[in-house]
Amino acid sequence: MPEVRERRTVSSWQEGTSNSNNYSLQSRYTEEHLSVGITWTLKADGLQQHKTTPGVTLVRNRKLRSSSPKLGDWINVGWPDDAILRWCASHMLRKKLPFLHSLLSPVSRHVGHLAGHQYDVIVVGGGHAGTEAAAAAARVGAETLLITQKIHTIGALSCNPSLGGVGKGQLVKEVDALDGLCGRAGDWAGIHFSILNRRKGPAVWGPRAQLDRQRYRDFIQSELLSTPRLTVLEGSVEELLVTEPNPEEPGHHRVTGIRLANGSHAISARSVVLTTGTFLSGSLFVGQTTSPGGRIGDAPSSPGLSHTLRERLGLRTGRLRTGTPPRIVKDSVDLSLAKLHLPDSHPTPFSFLNTHTHCKPEEQLPCYLTFTTPGVERVVRESLQLNCHIQQDTKGPRYCPSIESRVLRFPGRSHQVWLEPEGVTSDLLYPQGLSMTMPPDIQLRLIREIPPMRRAEIHTPGYGVQYDFVCPTQLSPALQVKSTQGLFLAGQINGTTGYEEAAAQGLWAGANAARWALSMPTVTLSRTESYIGVLIDDLVSRGVTEPYRMFTSRAEFRTSLRPDNADLRLTPKGFEEVGCVSSVRYQESLRVRNSLQDALTALQALFLSTSSWKKKLPSVPISETKSTLLTGLDLLQYNDVTFEMLASAFPESLSSYMEFAQRLKIEAVYKPHCDLNKKEIERIQREENMSLPQDIDYFSLPVSLSDEVREILDRVRPSTLGAATRLEGITPAAVVNLLNYVRVTEKKKETHRNQRHQEAQRDEELCANSASLPQ
Amino acid sequence: MLPLRSVCGGIWRAAVHTVRTSRGAPPYRLLSSTCDGAPAALADADTIFALSSGHGRCGVAVVRVSGPASATALRCMAGFTQRLPPPRTALLRSITDPRSTEVLDRGLVLWFPAPRSFSGEDSVEFHIHGGPAVITAVLQALGSVPGLRPAEAGEFTRRAFQAGKLGLTEVEGLGDLIHAETEAQRRQALRQMSGELGRLYQDWSDRLKRCLAHVEAFIDFSEDELIEDGVLNRVDVSVRDLQAEIERHLKDERRGERLRGGVQVVIAGATNAGKSSLLNKLCQRPAAIVSPIAGTTRDVVETALDLGGFPVLLSDTAGLRDSSDLVEREGVRRALERVEQADLTLVVVDSAHLPSEVDRAAAFLREHLSSVLPDTGRCLLVLNKADLLPEKQRQKLDMELRGVSGLPAVCLISCQTNEGLKDFLTVLHSSVKTLCGDPLFGAPTLTQARHRAHLQRCAAALAQYQRYRDTDLALAAEGVRVAVTSLGRITGRVGAEEILDIIFKDFCIGK
Repeated sequence: MPEVRERRTVSSWQEGTSNSNNYSLQSRYTEEHLSVGITWTLKADGLQQHKTTPGVTLVRNRKLRSSSPKLGDWINVGWPDDAILRWCASHMLRKKLPFLHSLLSPVSRHVGHLAGHQYDVIVVGGGHAGTEAAAAAARVGAETLLITQKIHTIGALSCNPSLGGVGKGQLVKEVDALDGLCGRAGDWAGIHFSILNRRKGPAVWGPRAQLDRQRYRDFIQSELLSTPRLTVLEGSVEELLVTEPNPEEPGHHRVTGIRLANGSHAISARSVVLTTGTFLSGSLFVGQTTSPGGRIGDAPSSPGLSHTLRERLGLRTGRLRTGTPPRIVKDSVDLSLAKLHLPDSHPTPFSFLNTHTHCKPEEQLPCYLTFTTPGVERVVRESLQLNCHIQQDTKGPRYCPSIESRVLRFPGRSHQVWLEPEGVTSDLLYPQGLSMTMPPDIQLRLIREIPPMRRAEIHTPGYGVQYDFVCPTQLSPALQVKSTQGLFLAGQINGTTGYEEAAAQGLWAGANAARWALSMPTVTLSRTESYIGVLIDDLVSRGVTEPYRMFTSRAEFRTSLRPDNADLRLTPKGFEEVGCVSSVRYQESLRVRNSLQDALTALQALFLSTSSWKKKLPSVPISETKSTLLTGLDLLQYNDVTFEMLASAFPESLSSYMEFAQRLKIEAVYKPHCDLNKKEIERIQREENMSLPQDIDYFSLPVSLSDEVREILDRVRPSTLGAATRLEGITPAAVVNLLNYVRVTEKKKETHRNQRHQEAQRDEELCANSASLPQ
Repeated sequence: MLPLRSVCGGIWRAAVHTVRTSRGAPPYRLLSSTCDGAPAALADADTIFALSSGHGRCGVAVVRVSGPASATALRCMAGFTQRLPPPRTALLRSITDPRSTEVLDRGLVLWFPAPRSFSGEDSVEFHIHGGPAVITAVLQALGSVPGLRPAEAGEFTRRAFQAGKLGLTEVEGLGDLIHAETEAQRRQALRQMSGELGRLYQDWSDRLKRCLAHVEAFIDFSEDELIEDGVLNRVDVSVRDLQAEIERHLKDERRGERLRGGVQVVIAGATNAGKSSLLNKLCQRPAAIVSPIAGTTRDVVETALDLGGFPVLLSDTAGLRDSSDLVEREGVRRALERVEQADLTLVVVDSAHLPSEVDRAAAFLREHLSSVLPDTGRCLLVLNKADLLPEKQRQKLDMELRGVSGLPAVCLISCQTNEGLKDFLTVLHSSVKTLCGDPLFGAPTLTQARHRAHLQRCAAALAQYQRYRDTDLALAAEGVRVAVTSLGRITGRVGAEEILDIIFKDFCIGK
């Protein structure tokens, strides 16, 4: 039996006192093949490892929960059969990842132990959607199993080494507000931070970072492995296990687990989240050759899974394509011929929990900008017949086109190419904008037409991918397949593109899969309160015709859904209604909310005449024609007034809120517009609270609806009256007729009083401290 | 009451609340925008108004207002400056235009504070004189009150349902009513959109969409892309021009072409069925040329009629047949377009062409109807030239075709002998009367008021673009978005995808 000895109290974790830096863990572990004894001592400046034997530390999570450790206790956790990795100190592991990898592989391949085991949630896939899904499910309180083909590629950035941007940055902030991983991972791995759209108004600021691929992967892996209730398993899923539905719920099937390839192991679970990315019937294209697969270097996923989805569950699927550029050897590029592009001098972290990024400002790396030449267009045209990916008419993303489609659609122009660093120690560059699928020798000819790359070498050629997606109108707003109880889908399988879109769906699908498994009602996010809600609503009520990407222009209430207020919008809901937010983060969000409230009250309380304001702030042009009194809040709405100016004029009432200076300025400027939005938002939310049963037979409803309307309703099966109203072709009369069938669901704020959740919270608190960045 | 998870409202409400409690006297500035009466949570986005009584010739017209700004409307249009009248009590007041303070009419006003009103919100009723001029004036005056806009089809009902004022059984019947409302509005809109005015609105809408697409492209893409600042400068010019044009249009007292009022009744059918003869009979003068030559009528001939007190616009159209003659083909196209816009179609059939057995005659008529009409819900079947039939067959047809399902009302007439004409007029009169009983039906005044309200909102929103152009592009874009939505309420909905389509057509976006 392995043993983990812990010399710290639970409370010292929670409070994060200096005690928490003195940490030691000891385990002894004997099993047929392994023998491990490790003693670690963690000091404030990092890890000191006294003695190791290659092997693994196993922890049985349930044990940890049932016997709460007390000061000085030695606790026994885990046993070999379970192959569950429990990493109590994520800091420690982050510093020691090479060691971690050597531990992981032998254990996680012990699949045999899992046979017959019952999980609450199984997540298939370890990309951006899968990792968020698994982590969210575990945070909600479900025993979760993450199955991925290679543990080493968990958290890999398959395409561009960057996170965030306009629209996408909003998603990252929201995922973070719901306690997801990608925001904190970005802060840890970022090596070039900038806020896009800085001059265009805070509602459309786009926080973005270039990432170090290795650091990003390390963070995600150590984070997952230190998440309680989460098991990681290396393997390939052969099929979904499906059975008769639970008659009390809508749906024609019910999922009961999965079966692994290369063996007959069935692992049962109450819900399954599929995040297979581009692997569902994926094929790779380079030049004229195609091969099955979803990413170069990885085995194709088994055909059994897509067979189950299509044949057994009868899901409609479509086909999309995407591509990635070649990676260039950095030393072979003459960067002096490209335009230097520097990051922000003060990097802004993504996460609401972080005050600074891991990368120091001066350690950030630059990007470079260069342009295509007529030679590039010539190479593309000459090689068209050698390029079968580009000749196919499968829909690709219009906003991230391959260089082939760019020059063919807009000929005779010079197109931008960004040369981006792949990491601090990486000797590769990522040429953003040069996604291509021609044969490798022609790829080399093409890039050498661009001046800085005259003598460039290609490390890995670019390639195209075509893959199946499941038409997302078959999903509920909880991302559950409507016809199949317990089956959830997230990421590219739903027809989206992009890391951030995948992470957002993963988090939401994972949280709902856990809630379903634990017999709690699923939850939805409104498009009036978040970009995640916009994303999911667009997917499930409109479907996709090309890979879906987030833009700020998709959000009707863009001025209210700002990156700066994602925590106010989502963290309380995430804690109170969903259960996917740790109490540490929740407490922090309450502190922020209360402070902002107090500061606004203080600003409102400053009632002065225009002449008094002029005396206080002589540099501000205040029109004296208005005889009314102005509050501090009114003043803050002026272009050239900052909170800092007001705080120095009224230090006694305002100086304690300096921490929030920027947020207060934004709140003040946007207030009149948010007020205008608010009523419309309330109207939409009321309609979204009127849910439509999923089992209505729209063709036999005894009301006067045209066949066309019935057909639309039957195809889309809107979940709420609000969704029905937004459908193209739905008349007001149809909406009124539907009123007959709505169920008004008061959205209750559920606080989870059951024991399971309380235990979960305690575990979360244990982890929350260890999971945040070292400050 | 439903929970309000407003986006940042929580902070603001709490802040206001604290100020109120901590300072004693409430800060009047903050409260001035909220209306007394309706609890904030029940208040809908807008306050809506509509003519609730039928149009046509009626003594009294009832205009209903519902929503949080109802009290404002009452104050500024019925002269209640100090306090509101007692609830649910009719008072005789002068009704004035809030802009010019000109007296529009004297009538009864009633104040229904929430929740005891039809819609569950604050409501006001104006009972005014039934003339079109008075109704138009009052509707336009209401449209100028801040926060008020004309109701969409079914909107009163939906609000009442949401406030729990309607049971499910009541809603059942309302679905059909609203279907009719929507149809009437759609036809009214079609009529107007096919004219000069429609082309003008469509042009504005296209230009606005392009402006929005370019601003959105600049926001969503420009930093990494090759979208240069010049794009915004072009948008500036466009927005300025559009705003000026819309404002000029709103000021123009002639309002472009006159909107046609009345029930639109269209006579349609095959050539030489006697359509023009029917028109001439109905208006009792030779308004259209009649001849035995098929295809005599080539264009639409319009006549305004007064049918038992109801205004009717009667149109005769070209006979429907495939023709190689260019002019006649155009005539047929216009005929079909007019049928599409009609409130009521009179399908004229030459009785002599009918099969003699009743079953086959019914099948023949059904097929004929479906070739002429988009749907059979609003038509009368007129079997002309009855004098050419033997007496026995005439009686048989008359008796038996009435009971056949799937056919509208059938009238057997002869324009030659006037036989059956009287009965036909009775049927026509009652159809027109039913149509006029629907308050939203074909009232151009209401459509006019709707257009005005949306155009005003559109122009105001464009001003917001100018105001924020240099300081906050997100807020500036918000102005263009509101403008597009407002105009979209006249010309048709505009979705995010449509804007993205324009973006991708106009720019090469590489990321």
